[in-house]
Amino acid sequence: MKQLFYTILILLLFSCKKDELGPQCVNCSEEDSNTEVADVLIVNEGNFGWGNGSVSLYKPNAKTIANNVYQQANSVNTLGDVIQSAYQFNGSIYAIANNSNKVEVMNESNFQSIATITGFNSPRYFLPINNSKAYVTDLYSNSIQVVNLTNNTISSSISVGCWTEELLLHNDTVYVCDMTNNNLLIINPSNNTLVDSIKLGVEPNSIIKDNNNKLWIMCGGGMSEDNGKLIKFNPQTRTIEATFVFTNIANSPSKLTINATGDNLYFANTNIYKMNINDTSLPSSAFITSNTNVFYGLGVDPINEEIYVADAIDYVQNGIVFRYSSSGNLIDQFYVGIIPGEFLFIE
Amino acid sequence: MSVFSKILPLVVLLLWQGFVFAQSIDTVQIKTVEVIDEKPPEAYKVVELDSVAIHQATSLSELLNNSSPIFVKTYGSGSLASVSFRGTGASHTSVLWNGIVLNSPMNGQVDFSLFPTPFIDNAELNFGASGLVNGTGALGGSVSLNNTTTFNKGFFSTLQQSVGSFNNYISNFKLGYSNQQWFTETQLYLNTNDHNFEYTNIAFKEQPRITQQNAKTKQYGLQQAIFRRFKKSQLGVRFWYFNSDRQLPTNMLVNNDVNTQNETQADESFRGILEWKGFTSKFNYKITTAFLKDKLIYNDSLSNIYSESNTQVIDNKINGTFYLNNQFQIKNIVSIRHEQAKADGFNESHQRFNNHWLFGVSKQFKRLDATLFNRLIMVADKIQPIAPSVGVQYNVLKRNNLKIKANTAINYNYPTFNDLYWAAGGNSDLKPEKSEMAELGLNYTISHQKTIINTELTGFYSHVYDWIIWLPTASSIWSPSNLREVENKGLEYNLKVKTTYQKLNLTFNGNYAYTLSTNLKAKNDYDNSVNKQLIYVPYHQINHTFGAAIKNFYLTYNYNYTGKRFMTTDNNWYLPPNFISNVSLSKTVKLNPQTKLNVGFKINNIFNQDYQAIAWRAMPGRNYLITLTLQFN
Repeated sequence: MKQLFYTILILLLFSCKKDELGPQCVNCSEEDSNTEVADVLIVNEGNFGWGNGSVSLYKPNAKTIANNVYQQANSVNTLGDVIQSAYQFNGSIYAIANNSNKVEVMNESNFQSIATITGFNSPRYFLPINNSKAYVTDLYSNSIQVVNLTNNTISSSISVGCWTEELLLHNDTVYVCDMTNNNLLIINPSNNTLVDSIKLGVEPNSIIKDNNNKLWIMCGGGMSEDNGKLIKFNPQTRTIEATFVFTNIANSPSKLTINATGDNLYFANTNIYKMNINDTSLPSSAFITSNTNVFYGLGVDPINEEIYVADAIDYVQNGIVFRYSSSGNLIDQFYVGIIPGEFLFIE
Repeated sequence: MSVFSKILPLVVLLLWQGFVFAQSIDTVQIKTVEVIDEKPPEAYKVVELDSVAIHQATSLSELLNNSSPIFVKTYGSGSLASVSFRGTGASHTSVLWNGIVLNSPMNGQVDFSLFPTPFIDNAELNFGASGLVNGTGALGGSVSLNNTTTFNKGFFSTLQQSVGSFNNYISNFKLGYSNQQWFTETQLYLNTNDHNFEYTNIAFKEQPRITQQNAKTKQYGLQQAIFRRFKKSQLGVRFWYFNSDRQLPTNMLVNNDVNTQNETQADESFRGILEWKGFTSKFNYKITTAFLKDKLIYNDSLSNIYSESNTQVIDNKINGTFYLNNQFQIKNIVSIRHEQAKADGFNESHQRFNNHWLFGVSKQFKRLDATLFNRLIMVADKIQPIAPSVGVQYNVLKRNNLKIKANTAINYNYPTFNDLYWAAGGNSDLKPEKSEMAELGLNYTISHQKTIINTELTGFYSHVYDWIIWLPTASSIWSPSNLREVENKGLEYNLKVKTTYQKLNLTFNGNYAYTLSTNLKAKNDYDNSVNKQLIYVPYHQINHTFGAAIKNFYLTYNYNYTGKRFMTTDNNWYLPPNFISNVSLSKTVKLNPQTKLNVGFKINNIFNQDYQAIAWRAMPGRNYLITLTLQFN
């Protein structure tokens, strides 16, 4: 009896040595992760608080996918928490880690880390103004942060009093979606001042520019607060030229994007829709139907107008990306990281 | 119906003779002396936690983590902790305080960091179907926290002060008096902790040593009881007030250098229970009415987020047991419960009735105890008439030291207010989650000279239908649906050894649990989660406590191992296993016949392991706690 007791005791008393610490990946690919022009970067948000945001690199010609490329290139455990968006500029990729309150700057060709810009509250989107200055919109700080790209620090901020989302630069003027007050903010980047704000529909979430230098803004309509609206805006006269209303109030259109020639709009509204800038009404039929999928990310390849859509499945596993030809035929499908939300086409 | 096809033949075989409530003999013997609470039938797996372990742990989450096979998910020391049984979720664990379910009507959960162990006299774990005896919703099991009232003790008091690492100060004071008729006790508790421990931040390439910031906690509480004993009954009230203020530290991923994070959470709970229990020669009863009021305030001043939620529950219960004879009992429980919640996440205040009626019979034969009961559930306007359970215990040997237990049940968990009404996303069309479960256990005790060994092996199976999960819809709003279907199966093993070697008393209590918890249902064709282990359910869990007492010295060594836990439903990411050891040494000195002084010294995480219980949440390394206890009896 006693022997049994001591044997069990000895077996259980001595713990094994462990060498792993923190989250570990079972099946992270070791594919080639050197970027070339025309590659597609997939931005995977990851789960809020779980630090599993990542970027994946897809090579359209070879049809290969490399996941977690930043972690692998830098031998680090994480890129950050909730990777909201990414932007390519001057040889670098800027990845905005929303819940890590930082922007990670990496080399565009090999993902080697260059710098980390810190001090944000809840950063969302990045826009370079010139070689030394960029704007970063924010969910909670009620301001837009001005980043000095020379030393990668926040130099100042523009107080706007709202949640700012997507933004673009046109004709030395910055146009920003204001999600709180449903405005289009107009900012003069030469002196970082807010010069005007124009009322839009409820929750303007995305903004693009067409080949007639008109701006298009998608308003999601909130949680059945109002109908979704697609707004055509003339930046010269600062007037709304057209408003296309989504008749079903439950719809939440989003992810407005445009092809490289600036004449075809694409957006997500359960399905993926395609609309010419000269159309007089919203498209009546879907360009890509979602079937059993729930589409989360949408991107249009500037080279060949191929369409990439992402499904995050249950949001707690690797999402899937579907690649369609410009005519809407499925070309490829591949698994990426967790919650794929945005596409960046390497130029 | 797979559960029933697997277990029913056996149950039927053992049941054909009739039904019994297992504890009937005990009750009959004792009831003439004192009014006691009934225990769940022995056909079910119930584990009473060791009172020494309760005394040694500083919080309920620590206690369960160190000395039970159930899984504790903690966001860090002092932070939110939830527990789950057998692969189910945190909202599938019922928590009862003196018989009253405490789970929030908003999220169906209980935060285990808000229960100081000195406020509890004994704790019991009801596994699987035994949770159904106490109420609905416990698809995994339930945790019962109880206080005792002992008459004829005279004056008694406890004065306890602990000082520990990270500016941890715990004060606990208890004063009471009881005679033949009256029992009264008052208890005060205060705990402050900075949680400013150092850890290696592996989120950064240089992996710097970082001091945890913004993690202070302050908890205080009061408990008061007054009971009056009559000839064949007793009447009493018990109050619980608890207040917790804590800063919420960010996870390791947040760049803290410039930002002053400013998230806080305040919890306040007020609980009152009025209880009248007694007996006649053929009848045992307990009537309770309880009032529960909880408030939670989340504040993030930097991001201007302030969210307040208030819940209020009135719970009335009539619990009666009729003894037709010494071997045959009828049990009847009627519970009328009203739940109300008001939160910033709802458009309005919501309320509902959550009522139950349990009716059961139980019979004891020479070696066989059998019990059968049904629960009728009425939640708001929905009625579920059938939630049954049947269980048997069979004494295989004449010495009554080898027991077989088998039981099976169907239980339901109703959607919470958040599931139904959260704006936006709440889904009022949700069905209750349904679980079919069964277990089979063997319990063996042997004693040889001065050694007693008790060992228990239990196999369990459950199939949960309509499991509620929150997912974004096409319009990007997160909304709950009954999408998931889960199968849980596994084994639990417990070994208890007590032996004496000359003047040395040795004890050992070890648990091992193996849990396979798999998702059965695909969301669409591309879903890779089917037949994979659920996230944050470890396959393997081990913990054991070794105790050695000689003269007035008492040494314990506690070890706990939590196996690999997956973080994603496709099982592509996981957290590696943790191995944590804790050691304590104490000495008791008798100052006079009534007064004892105990000096305790505890080292947590003695091997200074760096680990994460939840991804990117820092956990403390080696830390110390000194406790002085002065006890007057």
